[in-house]
Amino acid sequence: MKKFTPILLLVLALLIPVIFRQKPSLVYYLNLSMIYAISAQGLNLLMGIGGQISLGHAAFMAIGGYTSAVLVMVLHVPFIVALIAGVGLSCLFGLIIGFPALRLKGFYLAIATLAMGTVVTDIIKRIAITGGDYGLRNIPAPRLFGFTFGSSLSQFYLILAGLLLAIVVTRNFIRSKSGIALQAMRDSETGAQAVGINTSNYKLLAFILASAFAGLAGVLYGHSVSYLNTTNFGLDLSINLLAITIIGGMGTVWGVVLGSFLWVFVRNLMGSGLEMLTGVLFGVILLLVVLFLPRGLSEIGFRIAGRFKGKNESS
Amino acid sequence: MWTLIFRGLATGSIYSLTAMGIVLVLSTTNVMNFAQGDMGMFLAFIAFALLMRHVSYPIAIIAVVLIGLLLGALLERGLMSKVRKTTSHLGMLIVTLALTMILEGLAGYFFGTTPLLFPPLVQGAPLQFLGIILDRQDLVSLAIAGVVVLILFIVLYRTKIGIASRSLAEDEYAARLLGIPIKNIYIFIWAASFGLAGLAGIMVAPKLSLEPSFMIVIQLKAFIAAVLGGMNSVVGAVVGGLLLGVLENFVAYYIPQIKDSFSLILVVAVLLVLPEGIFGKRAARRA
Repeated sequence: MKKFTPILLLVLALLIPVIFRQKPSLVYYLNLSMIYAISAQGLNLLMGIGGQISLGHAAFMAIGGYTSAVLVMVLHVPFIVALIAGVGLSCLFGLIIGFPALRLKGFYLAIATLAMGTVVTDIIKRIAITGGDYGLRNIPAPRLFGFTFGSSLSQFYLILAGLLLAIVVTRNFIRSKSGIALQAMRDSETGAQAVGINTSNYKLLAFILASAFAGLAGVLYGHSVSYLNTTNFGLDLSINLLAITIIGGMGTVWGVVLGSFLWVFVRNLMGSGLEMLTGVLFGVILLLVVLFLPRGLSEIGFRIAGRFKGKNESS
Repeated sequence: MWTLIFRGLATGSIYSLTAMGIVLVLSTTNVMNFAQGDMGMFLAFIAFALLMRHVSYPIAIIAVVLIGLLLGALLERGLMSKVRKTTSHLGMLIVTLALTMILEGLAGYFFGTTPLLFPPLVQGAPLQFLGIILDRQDLVSLAIAGVVVLILFIVLYRTKIGIASRSLAEDEYAARLLGIPIKNIYIFIWAASFGLAGLAGIMVAPKLSLEPSFMIVIQLKAFIAAVLGGMNSVVGAVVGGLLLGVLENFVAYYIPQIKDSFSLILVVAVLLVLPEGIFGKRAARRA
């Protein structure tokens, strides 16, 4: 049974947009949720597995998004090249920023990433090619192998592919040698060093991977929303991504996906008058999760699954 | 030249007030409070609501500080004391992030997100003194900050509860052994820090426009000031704030291209080169 669950889920995911194709806005929200899930998956690696905090995660989304958009719009580079360049530049910045920042711990790392995130968006705003305060408009839809992903329905599949990639990479990373080393480091840094783990290398690796995910999410965001503005990648998105990761469940692959869907849908279904209250609602949920559910909302899922498993074994 | 320094000091005094709140809480309760700025924002909105109901300015300020003290005490009793038992330092940091989401959401819901104009503390043309141009608003905020810093230092160094809280900051375990009532001190510290937040909020609001995110910048600068000063020293926070204000003003005047990024680059440099700050203790760096 367990073997077929992913396939079942995948088939369901592939069918969802076909079922709801009468409601393009719903598909659009699904796309947004998946984009945030990709980005939060990176944060999940960094925080849930590596135990490092980042308050500048949204800046890497901005780097990826702007790089790819500018390349396609100004230099007319094919989308696939722009995508690789966007993710690559994100990684590069992850390396440049992560190298000094990860020597800091806890609070200091939080402040440093907060500052760096703000600097990055500030610099992007100042470069004339990015449209400054007005942002970039009319970013062309992604185009791969002669096929244009023009509708949100077709973009759904592209973004789903991105999300699956992120999930598979995260899953494999958690089980890999580096992932295990990182988890050891999260639980006890001194202990990890004592058994010969080069903690700073693994921290940097996690930070670069996280930046890559954020970059990928940024590229997909830019080309599917077709509008980029640095104000959308400020501290509040970084905090929201953090909340998504923690609420969904740190260290779990599916929790993050759950968290992003919850965030996007609650926010957009609340209606325009109540939109501000989403922040309050999520703040309260975040508080409750930190207090009572260390593994996030997915812990509820685990408990239910555990109960079912128990039943199956007894019968 | 002197005008630049004076203006820098005026802005710096606001950084100092916020940084003091952050450092007070961090050094005693070990919580990095990301909600300090947003608490100030929320209290400034309350002050705005009071002023719109024709409450006079001094009464509004006093009322807001009192509300800040009360909210701080309530937060410690109702939330932080419970969080402390269940979670790590990073967990508590995340709790304060959750607080910022709640405060910004509430402010946005009740007052809207369109920027409001906060009435200035004092009106009138800037004064001139020995060729220095002194803005009245800046003068008043400097004076208020000066008085508050003085009061806080008297409380911290001359009263029983102040000395007790400093001992707690130095060594929590020893303080417990000596029978210091830790619970009360936690309440005192949170109350004091949110009182400071309210004052800072009122002093910033007339300079910027009032909206749910207007204190984020100040919060960031206060962190930088605290890092400059050494993160666990209240004197350091005051000096760090003033220094940052002055430095920033000079940079904005002579190299305006980097004025927004300057302080952020500064903090990263300080963290890497001199992580203890100017007044911090070398061994006391907390992980």
